[in-house]
Amino acid sequence: MLQIRNLTKKYGKFTALDNLNLTIDQGQIFGFVGPNGAGKTTTMKIVAGLLRPDSGQVYLDGIEQKEHIKEFKERIGYMPDFFGVYDNLKAKEYMEFYASIYGIEGEQSRKLSLELMDLVGLSDKADSYVDSLSRGMKQRLCLARSLIHNPEFLILDEPASGLDPRARYDMKEIIKELNKRGKTILISSHILPELAQMCTNIGIIENGKMMVTGTVEEIMTTRGTASPLVMRFVNGQEKAIEILKENELVDNITIRDNSVSILFKGNEEEEAMLLTDMIKNGAYVNYFSREESDLESLFIQITGHTEQDTGEA
Amino acid sequence: MKINPVYKKELRIGVRTIKTALIILGYNGLLALFGLFAFYATFEYGSRYGGTVNYAKVLELYAIIAAVEFGLVLFTVPALTAGSISGEREKQTLDILLTSKLTPMQVILGKLASSISIMILLAFSSLPIISLVFSIGGVTFLDLLEFMALIIITAIYIGSIGIFFSCLFKKTTAATVSTYGALLFLTLGTFFIIAAIVILKDMKAAALVTQTDYIRKSPDAGYWILILLVNPAMTCFSMIENQIGTGSRLVTFLREFGVTSDWIESNWFFISAAIQGVLSLIFIYFSSRLLNPLKEKRRFKKKD
Repeated sequence: MLQIRNLTKKYGKFTALDNLNLTIDQGQIFGFVGPNGAGKTTTMKIVAGLLRPDSGQVYLDGIEQKEHIKEFKERIGYMPDFFGVYDNLKAKEYMEFYASIYGIEGEQSRKLSLELMDLVGLSDKADSYVDSLSRGMKQRLCLARSLIHNPEFLILDEPASGLDPRARYDMKEIIKELNKRGKTILISSHILPELAQMCTNIGIIENGKMMVTGTVEEIMTTRGTASPLVMRFVNGQEKAIEILKENELVDNITIRDNSVSILFKGNEEEEAMLLTDMIKNGAYVNYFSREESDLESLFIQITGHTEQDTGEA
Repeated sequence: MKINPVYKKELRIGVRTIKTALIILGYNGLLALFGLFAFYATFEYGSRYGGTVNYAKVLELYAIIAAVEFGLVLFTVPALTAGSISGEREKQTLDILLTSKLTPMQVILGKLASSISIMILLAFSSLPIISLVFSIGGVTFLDLLEFMALIIITAIYIGSIGIFFSCLFKKTTAATVSTYGALLFLTLGTFFIIAAIVILKDMKAAALVTQTDYIRKSPDAGYWILILLVNPAMTCFSMIENQIGTGSRLVTFLREFGVTSDWIESNWFFISAAIQGVLSLIFIYFSSRLLNPLKEKRRFKKKD
């Protein structure tokens, strides 16, 4: 289990992480979502031991990071958002180099390297030079590399960025397979629908603060009330809008063609009262429902950013 | 014995590049050019136009070849080490190394060892050229071993400075310029310091003579002369002087421009090698601190 407690990191005057708290249980695929500069990569780098936080602690299975950095690193596999490869090194040699760092040498190293390359679908590229591989292949090789010491916890920073749809699908399947094999995974991405399909839990970060965490279903349910309430009228739309404007629970009114969309802070009973009120005042309502929320609209609601705005943090 | 993984990887990559082959070719080519020219000038040219060969002076052939080889070492080591860490940073491979089980010290030592290995390879590949001096005698195999030791010590010394700057700066260019700057300071700057002290003292003495009219003693830099112990060129000079039996030139220089003792004068090579060894350890220690992401530090970087 990963626990992040009161993590704060500042770059000069800019606060990248502001008292961030996060818990990731064993076996989860935790999707880390946030707009550009929200603090995703900073958090991941701190957990991977690449950045020193100004304050706060990180624990993995009760092991405190700063005090036991060596043990901590042995339990973590890290794949950065941007990474390079060595020229003049073959894929299997690349794997064997990292294996040797963990004391895995000789036949054992060769066997393990080939097994992991097979897992990520690169067994036929073992003798190819790393710099000759495509971006998708390099991403998969880097993922295989992060598994060389059999870590229990994987940190994958934007693993699918820059990949074509096919390579993205392959990466997603590999990540699911790794989770089945018992790996706990922290993954960041700005491709939200993919995270929703893959992750057991998500966390939305904004301005270095964790805005919301939970399973995808939990977040949809608890935040569902914030989804727009959409209504359509056969007649009496103007009258209905007047009523909506007077209602204190209505935040925002958007009129699109034949429908009216509002942000309504009330509960289900108050929704029913609103509907009754409009009908009583002569509005012919033929559609009245909360818009089904998806991860993307939820993200926009919480952060105020669109998917296109998001990127590496 | 477990070999440092970074060292093994660096060697593997190194021997596959044309760069290493070109460095060996250039290094030995230049050395051979100087060696053969000195050989020609001493024997062929000397006997043809002078009618005689001064065998008392032919040992200077060794001095010339050794000095040229040493100069090439000084010139090559910064190029090999200054990009070692910053290069990994630029290639975006450093983060992955630092999240592995490797400690920053292991990364530093692996990089330094690979650079020294290349220097040893260069030194050994140049042995046939150095062996030119065996044809005239006067230089023993032990002398050559001592020279090899000097090359290794200097490679570690300058290499540790190169790696230090490579950790300090984000860009290889800045690290390379700084390493060559430091090298320039150590080899020439230390002499300038001595010269500056002597000149200032001389000016003061001249003023005193005018005022009090007492007999002037030629000034020296006092104990400041010991700053030359960090100068690798002086270390090389002292070794060659001892080997070819002209050590008195070093003693004369030290006595004229500073204050030393007989013990320091006669053990200059070993004392300076020891001091440079200690300095190397200090540079390596601070490099590993700079590379450790969890240590509090300040790194110089260009503002975007």
